[in-house]
Amino acid sequence: MSDVEQGTPVELGRAPQNVEGKRVLGVVPGKPAAGERKVITRDDTVMVWPHLLVRHAVAAMATLVVVMVISVFFDAPLRDIANPQVTPNPEKAPWYFAALQELLSRFHPLVAGVLVPGAIVIGLIALPFIDRSRFIKPRHRKVAVTTFTTFMVIWIILTFVGFMFRGPNWGWVWPWQEWHGEL
Amino acid sequence: MSLTKNDRDEATEPVDQGVEEHIEGRGDDLLGRLRDTAVGKSIFRSPRRVTPRDRAAGHWSNFLLHIYPVKIRRKELAFRYSWYLGVVSTVLLGSLVASGVYLMFFYVPSPANAYTNIQTIQTDVPFGQYVRNVHRWSAHLMVLSVAAHMGRVFYRGAYKKPREFNWVIGVVLLLLTLLLSFTGYLLPWDQLSFWAVTVGSEMAGYVPFIGDQVKEVLLGGPTVDSSTLLRFYVLHVAVLPAMMIFLLMIHLWRWRKDSMFDLEMEDGDE
Repeated sequence: MSDVEQGTPVELGRAPQNVEGKRVLGVVPGKPAAGERKVITRDDTVMVWPHLLVRHAVAAMATLVVVMVISVFFDAPLRDIANPQVTPNPEKAPWYFAALQELLSRFHPLVAGVLVPGAIVIGLIALPFIDRSRFIKPRHRKVAVTTFTTFMVIWIILTFVGFMFRGPNWGWVWPWQEWHGEL
Repeated sequence: MSLTKNDRDEATEPVDQGVEEHIEGRGDDLLGRLRDTAVGKSIFRSPRRVTPRDRAAGHWSNFLLHIYPVKIRRKELAFRYSWYLGVVSTVLLGSLVASGVYLMFFYVPSPANAYTNIQTIQTDVPFGQYVRNVHRWSAHLMVLSVAAHMGRVFYRGAYKKPREFNWVIGVVLLLLTLLLSFTGYLLPWDQLSFWAVTVGSEMAGYVPFIGDQVKEVLLGGPTVDSSTLLRFYVLHVAVLPAMMIFLLMIHLWRWRKDSMFDLEMEDGDE
């Protein structure tokens, strides 16, 4: 038995037997038996129209309502006209680069400005080619989930720190005392 | 096992059964009758909607529905499966294109005009302030929703074979979202945008060996000035949107093509 190549059907050498109402004609080593393999059946699928499209329409309208409400009540900021002679203090990047700016204040620019963002982008692109296991439940891929979660939490914290907790000369401020975040 | 599943479906989905029966019985609702006219038959390549097979054919031959598969796995309907973040991101992109085109009518990308144009938009242009707000807040929300979409896809394990390449396209779409937001940030030409872009582009200068050149290509000079504004404007309204829409088309096409694959996972989804 052990020298049988993977994928080669093994003759059972006796009369076909019944398993769960199906006749077993042979066993292919390395493949799950027919009863265990997950096969998409008609019951597992639904028509996109109307089931998915109705839900997408609701999600789309909810999104637009949120945008409308925010836009009615909050005006986009417009400060004084750009003046290269007057540098505001603090000088802030847009909020989605606040984590990078916070890193830049702590590490060498080559590390914080090039190596870290480069490694994040390359790591994200390489992720599906590194984590190739055939498992999708988070508890079956602890390494990937832990790594991703760690980086994500650090990034979110750095973003909040750079966005809300930094004031003049990039010094620490409490956002409930001084507000320096810009959108 | 399969019996219980069928029972459950019949118990929870009487509506679907009803629709099916209705169509099989007559197919004479308003839309059905419109499709049955000479004009309707010329518009719809597959006007008959009597059997489920007809309905699938009608979906398959409809241009507007061609970005969707005909059927999907039932579990994809649930809110917790995707939080609908892909739809939210796409809708925000639509909102940004619509509001952005409107703003383009009233904006000239030069330091002499840009700032006063924004002031005019806010005070004199009909719905100008509102449209500018929509553009601004949609942009911020889109950065959030695209990033959250990536997180949801990660935790669902939906980047696995055969969807690896679509994940890569998604990463590029996230980068394009950030670049679009960043280039747009400069356009009002106020203190906020000028200095945010000055800080942001300083990071490009830290690239080893070619940092200064990269920064110079990006800004069109050593500092943020009129050529930077023009460059960012062209990137913002033409180059980056074209790239984003092209990649989004591939992204959605791959989503549709791969929508039925989850056969080979060794643990289920639930």
